[in-house]
Amino acid sequence: MKKFSNLLIKEIRELINKQLIFSLLFTFILFYFIGQVARTEAKKAEAARRVAVLDLDRSAVSRGLLDNLRLIRFQVEELETQDKEEAIIKAQEKKLPFLLIIPPGLGEGVEKLETEEIETYSFLRSFSMSEARYSDVFRVILEAANNYLSNEVLKKKLPEVPPDSLKKPLKSRDFVIVRNQRAEASASAIAGFVYAQSVFVPIILAMILIYSSQMVISAIALEKQNKTLETLLTVPISRSSIVAAKMLAAGIVGLLSALIYLAGFRWYMKGLTGDITAAGGVTTIIKQLGLSMTTGGSIILVISLFLAILCALALATILGVMAEDYRSAQSLIMPLVFMVMIPYILSIFTDLKTLSLPAKIFIYAIPFSHPFMTAQNILLHNYRSIVFGIIYMLLVFIVLVFTAARIFSTDRVLTMKLRWRRRAVVL
Amino acid sequence: MAVILQVEELRKFYGQFEALKGISFEVNQGEIFGLIGPNGAGKTTTLRIIATLLTLSAGKVKLLGYDLKENADKFRENISYLPEEAGAYRNLTGLDYLRFMAKFYDQSPEEWAKFIDRAVTIADLGPRLKDKVGTYSKGMVRKLLLARALMTKPVLAILDEPTSGLDVINSLEVREIIKRYAREGLSVLLSSHNMLEVEFLSDRVALIDQGRILAIGTPQELKERYQAPNLEVVFRRAVE
Repeated sequence: MKKFSNLLIKEIRELINKQLIFSLLFTFILFYFIGQVARTEAKKAEAARRVAVLDLDRSAVSRGLLDNLRLIRFQVEELETQDKEEAIIKAQEKKLPFLLIIPPGLGEGVEKLETEEIETYSFLRSFSMSEARYSDVFRVILEAANNYLSNEVLKKKLPEVPPDSLKKPLKSRDFVIVRNQRAEASASAIAGFVYAQSVFVPIILAMILIYSSQMVISAIALEKQNKTLETLLTVPISRSSIVAAKMLAAGIVGLLSALIYLAGFRWYMKGLTGDITAAGGVTTIIKQLGLSMTTGGSIILVISLFLAILCALALATILGVMAEDYRSAQSLIMPLVFMVMIPYILSIFTDLKTLSLPAKIFIYAIPFSHPFMTAQNILLHNYRSIVFGIIYMLLVFIVLVFTAARIFSTDRVLTMKLRWRRRAVVL
Repeated sequence: MAVILQVEELRKFYGQFEALKGISFEVNQGEIFGLIGPNGAGKTTTLRIIATLLTLSAGKVKLLGYDLKENADKFRENISYLPEEAGAYRNLTGLDYLRFMAKFYDQSPEEWAKFIDRAVTIADLGPRLKDKVGTYSKGMVRKLLLARALMTKPVLAILDEPTSGLDVINSLEVREIIKRYAREGLSVLLSSHNMLEVEFLSDRVALIDQGRILAIGTPQELKERYQAPNLEVVFRRAVE
């Protein structure tokens, strides 16, 4: 055990070098910074409900409309002019994001049930996401205005009928059924919430798989390049311990790196989408539908992720033996990256279970596909798929680790090379 | 003198190519045994098999009576191998590298400390041992690796081209170290294509060419047998 820990510590020390620490810190700070900026911008967009208004009508209806806007927390700044062009210049000078021009005769037209036109001006000062949010705010203004005006007319024409009953005679009550559980909610809200809660699982997984594998391949390739492998193979420690120490060290450092990246990524996502835990009411419905992750479910998910990592590390060990040096190791990682990225991308855009049979066979044959489906399968109680995935990954791992140990205990560890030969051109 | 290493009819195939065609020799305790021959003669393959890096295709190799095929672990406990183009971990300091390697041997922390003290003396790198290996010259790395190979006082030190790539001064120092430690009872099996170096270092020599041993004896015996002034001429006449 002492020999193994000696080797493990050395492997970890080799992996955690200045370059890795710098890269991790830089990425974390970058994500954090972008997230903070996005947050600040989002807050600004929410707070900036200022609107310039040129009221050319000055009727009771137009005054009511403006009061209604103030009621829904808009800061209305009325411009003291009668000229549209001057109003635009003034709004621009005051750096207001919107200008609303109420035409003369609006009140009269509404009374006669005629469709009236108001003019809206959005001052686009950049093309950032926060600018797009300003435009969304403007939609709210229009909806509020329409709602107020139509309600006012209906109240006068049909005082005994509530305006909402006339405008929306049909209302729907939305129910969602998951397995046998039913709850009153919209399907899109539930799906969106579950997706937002579990979106990090595939990201962490893809990151850990790729980082750890790259570390194992590079570690073995560097041992070959620096001519240290031969010496290591002749010291009194079993070959399986050498393989295990390299895999474990890469797993630990890969996990650590992925967690640091993820922390940064969460900050970034929080800045863009807001905090998903704030969606108070939905959590109750999620529990009601049995869609919250239980302790047992979490354990199954961890087992599935762990097996996928072991498969990746064992495969990376075999690929690492084929590498001649560090540079060739970077090319050899590519098949593994594709094997991770294909199911990852597909799991984001489609339900893997709905693929055609040949595509399904292809995807299911990749051991890394299974953990991408596990979280969803746990929530939907598809235990058969989970068990199949776990058994399949376990078998793949056993075969791969046996192969890796076999390679390390034979001449192949020194003689196995994958050469990309150039074809000779004969004229 | 007790025989510690026995090699009998050793053969090695790489696919269809027969790199070793049945070589036999013995190494005695406290002896420096040199394998000399040109590049591709089979010297490194022989050493790598004894160092448990390569498997043998046929024949027998025994160390202290342990058979290589059945007791590779016993071999690893009792040998130390210095490959021709060996390197050390560039991110570790020289001292950390020695500590790391010492801990693979089943000894107490006191024994590890003795190993490291011995290695520090052999390497003779002074305060540079606290610097990272990546900053060392080729000669310094070679001395560090030689110190690593000898610090555990192995039953058999296997040194493949120990002075490969070194300048005259460093080569002389390395040869002196090997001689000094052999006098303490250490057995050494070394290879070189520098026949004058082997003549200076070795108690006995085997001439090897194209996977076969042509002759074995002390440098003096071989020079008398082939009526040659040095081992280079001995080798040429043996090949002819």
